[in-house]
This record gives sequence, structure tokens and C-alpha cells, in this order.
Amino acid sequence: MLPIAYSEFAQISRNRAVLISTLMPLAVSAFFIYRRDQFTAIGSTGYVAAALVFTIGAFSLYTTAVTTLAARRQDLFLKRLRSTTAGDATILAGLTLPVSAVALFQVLVVLGVFAAVVGGPADAALLVAGILSAFLMMLALAMATAGLTGSPEQAQVTTLPVSLGTIGIATWVGITGTEDLTLLKRLLPGGSAAELIVTSWNGGVPLAESLPLLLPALGWVVVAIVLALRLFRWEPRR
Amino acid sequence: MEKTSSSPVIEVDRLNISYGDFHAVKDLSFQVERGELYALLGTNGAGKTSTLEAVEGHRTVSSGTVRVFGRRPTDRRAVRPRMGIMLQESGFSADLTVAESVRLVGRLSGRSDSVDRVLGTVDLHSKADVRVGQLSGGEKRRLDFATAVYGRPELIFLDEPTTGLDIQSRDALWKAVAELRGNGSTVILTTHYLEEAQQYADRIGLMHQGAFRHQGTVSELTRTLPASIQFSLSPTAPAPPIGVPAADGRAYAIETFRLQSDLKALLDWAAAHDVELQDLSAAPTRLDDVFRAIQTDPALAPTR
Repeated sequence: MLPIAYSEFAQISRNRAVLISTLMPLAVSAFFIYRRDQFTAIGSTGYVAAALVFTIGAFSLYTTAVTTLAARRQDLFLKRLRSTTAGDATILAGLTLPVSAVALFQVLVVLGVFAAVVGGPADAALLVAGILSAFLMMLALAMATAGLTGSPEQAQVTTLPVSLGTIGIATWVGITGTEDLTLLKRLLPGGSAAELIVTSWNGGVPLAESLPLLLPALGWVVVAIVLALRLFRWEPRR
Repeated sequence: MEKTSSSPVIEVDRLNISYGDFHAVKDLSFQVERGELYALLGTNGAGKTSTLEAVEGHRTVSSGTVRVFGRRPTDRRAVRPRMGIMLQESGFSADLTVAESVRLVGRLSGRSDSVDRVLGTVDLHSKADVRVGQLSGGEKRRLDFATAVYGRPELIFLDEPTTGLDIQSRDALWKAVAELRGNGSTVILTTHYLEEAQQYADRIGLMHQGAFRHQGTVSELTRTLPASIQFSLSPTAPAPPIGVPAADGRAYAIETFRLQSDLKALLDWAAAHDVELQDLSAAPTRLDDVFRAIQTDPALAPTR
């Protein structure tokens, strides 16, 4: 897995289009942190944290992963890797490890800066659980979307429903809370993960009430993995 | 379960491959013995690459069995360390360098070798630090060959290896293949270049519309079609003992299964009558002719 991850990291760092999609969320995050008072007034500090996490998850992780997987399939690099001793799981893990590591590193840095400015989260462990469930879902959705994406250029379009959709859901949950339409908001993809991040940052909610949110969050991880297994393709259509 | 060294390296039994309604490979059976060079020949769409990819473990079979070293080809951990694969289309990332590509595939091959040595065999030393995206088509084919022979595997798959190569690169590739065969490697290849198959293959499987039309050695195949004698006569010459002239009354093209005796009769006749046989040629059937025959003669029966 590590040789594949290493080569993938080299490829990402040399490709300008991928670099831009990875760096863009940092600019958005900087804007969120700079205008934190307005955004906190609309929602809460927890909402800003959720917006930061989902912006990075949607672009640095999800969009970049779809783009690179589609590119590797288009130029038959996936087929080439499958000509070796490496198993399918090893190949996918190796290919997505660098984007995942970059996205996690970005979240760490951005939330670190945000915490330094406004104060840290109330429950760090729950925050980590919320971030990981969101990222796992986005990663599996990326593999599923890559199956429907013929080329890296197409990825600019095929990624929009999930990337904008999850950011929209996180924003909706972050700003309006889950007092009304509770079930709907929690069952939407990313809804529970967003609520976990918001409440873990703001505090004031008993752990016994927050923990059950992990169920729908992990449920979406499972759904996304099932979609990935069904939709992912290793070779271009003939 | 490990098979003994005398068992075939590749065993294909009643292989069928379908893509939707299209039956690409039909009931194909063949074996490749250790040390052999076996060539799958055929027109575009004959099913060569589908067959090769099924043996490589890349293609899902609809029915039938494929065994490589006695194992399923999809058992990557068991079979891939023993085989090197040159794909029909390269499959390298444009953003990696030549050396990085060889190193990556080499490390994942389960064999050990030096990147320098492998690049040397295909004369790509000077391109080691060049990104694959900047290589020519022929250089990419050579890179592909280099990754296939990394660590001198026991079994090598070459899918149209010389397509797009200039003559020097083609010769260098066959020289490298000869060296590997000297070490005991088995080779299975597909090619459009019939003269290459004729020159290098021990046995040939000639595919047409997903099935074998012929299988055997080159001489076995060419023996199934007549040899040819061609010559021209001056208008004043008497009629020769064999053959009928073409419309111009001068050119003769004779097809025969008795090349030696017919040629002797012709030469004896020419000597006796002091006749010059202009543009004389006599040759066994070339593989090209076998190839053309299966396309023009649908009734040509398969040999097995």
C-alpha cells in the first residue's frame, strides 16, 4: 500500500488542477475564520466548525479523490496496478491515503487556528468522531462517484451534487439546529455528522443525547461503502 | 496445490467470454508448455486480447476454466510474482517519471531487480527522469515492456508488444525476449505482425470470431495451404507442363501441395526447351496467406 500511496502523493503534488482543488478550501476556511463574528451570529461557533470541516471534506477530500480516481482509471493506471500482486483493497487504500492525509491535516490546522481564536471544542473526542464519520462517508461516496465519472474533466460536474449537497445540509443543520424537522435533518447524508460537530464544539448537550447521532452518521458510511462497491469501476468503458 | 514442473504453465479449457450479447470468445481450449513462445493471432475483434486478459486475470470469464501455474489467475498473490504483463495500452500515470513508474510496478511485482538494468534492456536510461506524459508512443511501449520483464518472470504476457515500435526497438525487444527464453521464461503474445509470429513463435493459435481456426506450429499451419510457384514466359515460348497462363497469356501463378516435384518438372522442362522463366519465385505459403484464407473462406474447418 505504501509504494502506491507514495507514488500517488508524487502525482498529486505535480498536478496543478488537483493542487488547486486541494488549496481552495484553505482560502474559504480563512474567510470563515476572518468573518467568524458574522458567521457565529448567524449560527454558532460550532456551526463555523462544521462549515470548515465540510468545506474541506467536500473539496480537498471528496472532489480531489473523485478527480484523481477518474484520472487513474482513464489512463489505465488502475489496470496497471491490478497487473501486480496488489489486491483491490490495497490499491484503493494506497490511492486514497494521500488525499485523506492531506484533508485530515488541513482540518487539524484550520480547526487549530479556529480554536486558538475562539477557544477549543467542548468535547474533542466527540468532535473527532464527527469528523471521521463525515470523512469516511465522503471518501466512500468519492469511490462511488468515481464509478460514474468518465474523466477528470467530468469530475468538475459529477462531484457537484454531493459536494454542494453535503455543505448545504451541514449549513442548514448548523444554522437552524435540529429542533424542528429533527428526523429529516439527522437522516440526511452528513446531517448527523454536522450536528455532532456543532454540539461537540458548542457543548451543553449531554453525551447520552449526542452519542446516538453516531448511528445515522455511521449508517451513511455503510450506505456510501455499499454504493462504492456497486458503482466503482476499474477500467474505462469500452 | 503446486503442480510439477512438467505440467503446462497455462491451461485454458472451454473458455467463453461474453460482453452483453456479444460472444467474444467461444469454447476456446489450449495449453502453453513451459519454455514455449505461444502466439495468439487474429484480426481485430477476433478475441485475442479478451483471451489474453482472461489468462492474465483481468477479465471475468463467462464459463470455462483458466489455470496459470495450476492456479486461478485472479489469485494475485500466488501467480503475479511469477508473471510479468505488458498491456495493450500502457497504463502509466503521466505525472510520474520513467524510473518512478518502473520502481512502483517493480516493487508491486513481488520480484527483485534493479531499475537501471531494466531501463537498460529497453534503452530508456536517458529518459529515466522524464515524465511519462512526455514520452513518445514507442517509448511508452518500451517502458511497458520494461515493467513486464522486471525481475525476469517465469511467464511473460505481451499484448501486441511491437505495435508502434521502430525497427531497432523491435529488434531490441525480440533480443530481450530471446534472453529471457534462454533463462527458461515462457512467453504468450498477441500480434498483428505475422512475420514476427512466423519467426519467433513455437506454436500459434489462429483466432477468428472468438474461436480457433488453426492451432499448431507455423509449418503445420502453412502445410494446410498450397505453396506457390510464379513465373512469366516470353510470348514465343511453348506451353509449360503445369499451370494455366493469366489473361495476358504470359504470367503463371501455380498453387501446389507438391512444391518440390512440380518445381523440378518445371525447371527440367525449361532446361530442355531452353526457355527463360522470368521473375521466377517458388515459396511455401506464408502465414499471411493462412491469415487471408480464414477471412475469405468461412468453411475452413478448425483443426481441433
